[in-house]
Amino acid sequence: MDFLFLGLQQLADPALFLTMCIGAILGVIVGAIPGAGAAVTISILLPSTFAMDPLTGMTLLLGVYCGSAYGSAIPAIMINTPGSPVAVLTALEARPFVDRGEARRALSLAYSSSFVGGVLAVLALMLLTRPLAEVAKNFGSAEFAMLAFAALVLVVIGHGGRRVEATAALAFGLFLATVGIETAYSTQRYSFGQSWLIQGIPLVPMVIGLFAMSEALIQLTGRDTTRQSVQLKGHFFQGFLEVFRYKVTLFGSSVFGIICGIMPGVGEFLAQQVNYVWARKLSKEGHLFGKGAPEGIIVSEATNNAVPPAALIPMLALGIPGEELTAMMLAVFLVHNVIPGPDLFLNRPEFVAGLYWTLLAMNLVIILFLLVATNTIARAALINKRFLGVAILTLSLIGTYASNYNFSDVGLAMAFAVLGYILRSHRWPLTPILLGVVMGPILESRFRQAMGGAGGDLSIFVTRPISAVILAGLALLLFFTIRGAIKARRPREDWQINDT
Amino acid sequence: MTDPDEPQANRLESMALALIFAAISLLLLALIGVATRTGQASGGWWTRPAFAPGIALALLVAANLVTLWRDAADLRAHPATAEEWADARAKVLGWLRPAEFLAYYAAYIWAIQHLGYFPATLVFVLGLLWRVGLRAARWIWAGIGLSLFMIAVFRAGLGVWMPAPGLYDLFPDGIRLALMRWF
Repeated sequence: MDFLFLGLQQLADPALFLTMCIGAILGVIVGAIPGAGAAVTISILLPSTFAMDPLTGMTLLLGVYCGSAYGSAIPAIMINTPGSPVAVLTALEARPFVDRGEARRALSLAYSSSFVGGVLAVLALMLLTRPLAEVAKNFGSAEFAMLAFAALVLVVIGHGGRRVEATAALAFGLFLATVGIETAYSTQRYSFGQSWLIQGIPLVPMVIGLFAMSEALIQLTGRDTTRQSVQLKGHFFQGFLEVFRYKVTLFGSSVFGIICGIMPGVGEFLAQQVNYVWARKLSKEGHLFGKGAPEGIIVSEATNNAVPPAALIPMLALGIPGEELTAMMLAVFLVHNVIPGPDLFLNRPEFVAGLYWTLLAMNLVIILFLLVATNTIARAALINKRFLGVAILTLSLIGTYASNYNFSDVGLAMAFAVLGYILRSHRWPLTPILLGVVMGPILESRFRQAMGGAGGDLSIFVTRPISAVILAGLALLLFFTIRGAIKARRPREDWQINDT
Repeated sequence: MTDPDEPQANRLESMALALIFAAISLLLLALIGVATRTGQASGGWWTRPAFAPGIALALLVAANLVTLWRDAADLRAHPATAEEWADARAKVLGWLRPAEFLAYYAAYIWAIQHLGYFPATLVFVLGLLWRVGLRAARWIWAGIGLSLFMIAVFRAGLGVWMPAPGLYDLFPDGIRLALMRWF
């Protein structure tokens, strides 16, 4: 109980409360602007948070993360343009609502399912993180190494259809993580005598280049299309109560989103796609999915919004980030020497408790903001793409420079921007690069410790029970993934034979 | 998010990219002997400095070679048409499209150090808006607004330090100090 009161005390701090509101509102706005979004905004804001205390910095970034998950529904429904990949299903389901003049009902369904998904995920975070951290106290280096390895494998498996490209991106990230001084012998790796590479590839310029500047270049070099927003009719509360007519779908989607959020490497997009397919199969009104089914919007939004808070569970309890945005946030922890993992609850209880309450309050602030400002935000979503590109590029410079007060970092960001631009235009995933950079050092150091402790005997990874269970789980997952891939190829081969 | 209007990559373009990535990753792997300390480590093989980059680069090379092999097999089964070749040439040249904007960006970095943050930002924003075809008065005002926003948030609000540019030396001390502090 004292722990929860400690969190409320943190939330009562006006500065923290204001930061939470700013982050949440900013998140909703950037989530609603196609081409902006959480990854671009968090990467630009990241250096600014280094000067804040860790809870305030994390609150700002989490506000953007959670707010953008809500905001992405606005352009998907009101201008039929998904602001991010996770809004594609919402756009698909909402189109018939808009055609029927029920845009507001679609928005209400989206907002209320997002709220339920988000709040349930925060409750899961409150209930599950500490027990998981307690279990993790029994983990040794072998278990942590295996967990990091599992996260990397899951990242690749999560990119169905692009797994080879995801493997290459992950390997590139792992390689980048090795550049600079290595600790065991204090020798340099791949720095080629360049002083600016001795400390390794700096994370902030890399993140800003890959995620923000490459997006700006795409906006500047792409076409701008004229879009129109619909006029809202009806009242929001109609759909707010309507979601509870689909309790199984609503709560099932939220729980599924939470489970996927906890699993490293899965992320919102995959969670949502898989859940949508299952819900369509299981629902009595499955035939209406894709034709304006309320359940379709509920599945999409509840799953999508349950993932962000749930992704914090493995990060806080084990120090393993689940996806790109929590990987970026890990940088805030590292800068402030806050070590996520089992000892976090002992060393920084006020930080964890404060995070819980701000996340809970954040969902309330976001929903209240959306109730009064949806029409205004929809207008922001119509922003000219080229102007957006100019704005992102200008913000990127100050973001990169402010991280280290060094203009050479800006040059590095430019190099990553070109790489990001080329990879994005070929639909190569960028997330595995970031996870490789963040997870690489964890995996290497834990592997070294485990092997050193076992005298170089690799069997430590199968003789320690938890490590063996993770390894067995991975082996099973790989088996089913490979079997699924082979099955998926068969009909195409048949079709090719028949066709010729 | 990637632009949904972005045209799909063509097979030859994808193969060119895979070829470049495979060549770079092979080169990096070949350099492992000179870029890391490989031998004479007192610990086991798992502590060797070359171990982690070696694994990462081997995986990178393997993934790039698989991509290359897959693209090559597809082209062998369905040879590229003359239109595809022409399209590929145009698309590979299209990789240079961001170079123009990055050149402006490099000039912006230079200008910050010589003209100061606010003047350089104003020129960069307005110039870029003009370049991308946003030339109406409302875009000029929007550009000025964006530059002032940057000053208000980052220089005045967050106190981000910027080097004193040569241009500010031309002003009397009082104005110079104010310019250095706020602009």
